[in-house]
Amino acid sequence: MIDALRRLWRTPQGVLGSVLLAVLILACLLGGVLAPYSPEAMDFAGRFAAPSARHWLGADQLGRDVLSRLLVGARSTVPLAVAATFSGALVGACVGTLSAYLGGRWDEAITRTIDAVMAIPHLLLALILVSTLGKGSANAALAIAVSVAPSMARVTRSVALAVRQQDYVKAAIARGEGGAWIVLREMLPNVAAPLIIEATIRVAFAIMLFATLSFLGLGAQPPASEWGLMVSEGRRFMHQAPWVIVAPALAIATTAICFNLLGDGLRDALNPRDER
Amino acid sequence: MSPVLQVRDYALDYVTRDGTQRVLQDISLAIEAGEVLGLVGESGSGKTSLAWAIMRHLPGNAREAPGGRIHLGGTDLVAASSKALETIRGRRMSMVFQDPSTALNPTLTIGRQVSEVLVRHRGLSEKEAWRAATEALEHVDLRDAAGLMKRYPHQASGGEKQRVVIATAFACRPELIVFDEPTTALDVITGARILELFGRLRAETGVAALYISHDLALVSRVADRVAILERGRIVEEAPADRIFTAPTQDYTRRLVAAVPRPDHRLVGDQVTGETLLRAEAIAVRYGRKRLFRAAPAAATEDVTLDIRRGEILGVVGESGSGKSSIARALTGLADYDGVITLGGRRIDRTGGMDRAYRRAVQIVFQHPDSSLNPRQTVADILARPLRLYGGDVSTVPALLEQVRLPAGHARRYPHQLSGGEKQRVAIARAFAARPALVICDEITAPLDVSVQASVVELLLGLRDTHGTAYLFITHDLNLVRQIAHRIVVMRAGAIVDLLDIDAVRQGNVSPYTRQLMAASPAPVG
Repeated sequence: MIDALRRLWRTPQGVLGSVLLAVLILACLLGGVLAPYSPEAMDFAGRFAAPSARHWLGADQLGRDVLSRLLVGARSTVPLAVAATFSGALVGACVGTLSAYLGGRWDEAITRTIDAVMAIPHLLLALILVSTLGKGSANAALAIAVSVAPSMARVTRSVALAVRQQDYVKAAIARGEGGAWIVLREMLPNVAAPLIIEATIRVAFAIMLFATLSFLGLGAQPPASEWGLMVSEGRRFMHQAPWVIVAPALAIATTAICFNLLGDGLRDALNPRDER
Repeated sequence: MSPVLQVRDYALDYVTRDGTQRVLQDISLAIEAGEVLGLVGESGSGKTSLAWAIMRHLPGNAREAPGGRIHLGGTDLVAASSKALETIRGRRMSMVFQDPSTALNPTLTIGRQVSEVLVRHRGLSEKEAWRAATEALEHVDLRDAAGLMKRYPHQASGGEKQRVVIATAFACRPELIVFDEPTTALDVITGARILELFGRLRAETGVAALYISHDLALVSRVADRVAILERGRIVEEAPADRIFTAPTQDYTRRLVAAVPRPDHRLVGDQVTGETLLRAEAIAVRYGRKRLFRAAPAAATEDVTLDIRRGEILGVVGESGSGKSSIARALTGLADYDGVITLGGRRIDRTGGMDRAYRRAVQIVFQHPDSSLNPRQTVADILARPLRLYGGDVSTVPALLEQVRLPAGHARRYPHQLSGGEKQRVAIARAFAARPALVICDEITAPLDVSVQASVVELLLGLRDTHGTAYLFITHDLNLVRQIAHRIVVMRAGAIVDLLDIDAVRQGNVSPYTRQLMAASPAPVG
């Protein structure tokens, strides 16, 4: 693990991604302390205040400091999206690998089921789940996990099919190993690298989906300063005060780029064969 | 007369992430018109780099040392512009590749690919080129050349494709042809026919050729002179017949000694013990019957064989003859019809193979790269069978020592080992189960000849200590004749011959086996 991190920091993508991630983690942990104002402190005299020394990123329609809201909002945005993506990815990975390992009719059945679930648009699936389970961030995260899982299962299956053909899997079968050992110990570590890359990239989508759910009133509830919610709230004042929407949008974009870079860096770092 | 190809003081480096690496050093050689120079080296010796240097198609990280010269006829190839090279490549020199299935473009018909060269270099019209291409294909003994011209590469066999590549190479009557292991990817008999063809074309056209191979025995039959390449240097150059009879360098001597000779037996004992494993009427089918598709033909049909305790049973055949399917059936990797009997127990389906059977019958695969899990250390890999079949995990260093690897290798990952070392780890894993039978599926094929010899020696040593029986699957008849007690010859899923080694020596064999033996002659000298 230490080796993988050292290799990660040898690539420029890895360094940049790690730095951005560190900033994000810092915002998640210390957002409330670092924020210059309370995220909910309203100031009607300072509505739509442009970015200045007082409000670095300006103020919104209720005069709330955008920077403070961003910093505090990081905690309700990033960890949930990451957790949702990775739990969904893990489930998807296990199902996909199992499907590739079993092959034949089982593979067919699992793949068709995945196809059927994927035919439902992500947003619709998430909406159905949230409206059944009830509003709130935790349920929204669960809905995102469920909507990530099928596509991850597909990606995993295609990688695992190649791994299935490798002689070490055949050797394990010839040795009389059980299915659980082969899937979890022989195959899964070898499909992990593309999966982690895919999952880190999907974090960006998860943040967007989470924002959409919040926008529709099913995820985070106002006055929470979740970034997606901030974007949707600021949408109405786009021409009047563009910074209200630009700041959270940039934050989402930066987070997405951060995870993309990290994914790129990890791809090299997680492949011990590339160690030169 | 000046030589067709002259290479003088040529050196080449590759720039990699940790510095430059010298791949070729002080290369000087010359090929006269009508002469074939064989270039022999083990993997990593730089022989293919030299071929690409001559063809002037080097990768972007290659750096040529100043002062090196490559001349084709009177033309300086190193100084030639890429424009000039376009008219030289294919016209004055051409190349035949190792794997004909990747050398042809799968989206173009064979006719297009052959005639394109003629349009390009001989300035023929499309129609004339098509006719000339058909003639060229006929000239390399392809039946129904006109029909073949309209087909796509996947509709032709490996041997046919290699003939097409050769026809293309000869089409413009080049001065020089570079052959890069042209028969390695082909079956023994197909390869032998390709060599016959090459001999004939060479006599007709008087072309000069550089023939690259790892197979010293083969090169010494094809080439007039042989150059031995070791780590980027030519260590010895001599007439082909002298390389085997009177090698002057240590390295050459080692290479010559490692070439398997069928008359030089490595196993002296006779095995007459009880039967260990008996396979009766084994049939293996891949794929199943579907709604709109009949069940595919069987890969093997009615194969019956038995292995005695401590015996080495060689299985020989061309690719697709079903020899690997037998290995898969015996290890439960493929479903089979028929009965396997081990120690009095009848097993008629893969589900019936219990832990005791799995422990007794172990397999070593052809490619050590793919048979060792890249995410596990050598220690993990070796500990697994010990845990599974009840052994002591602390014996891992002893297992490594048994295959003559240092105990420190236990902490390494497979990619940190060489090909031969990986194969030794795979062998150690098989022996960790204390098996009665080890199936060796082409385990020496991807290895260099000297490594191959040491792996075979290791296997024989392990057999002496443990009394293990081997089912030794290979396409190398010479090797199997050195070590096997009995030989099974397979063709198209059926057994053609099951003979004692003495019978093979006396020539009591079926016509097909005789053909195989003729296609893999013993090295000269």
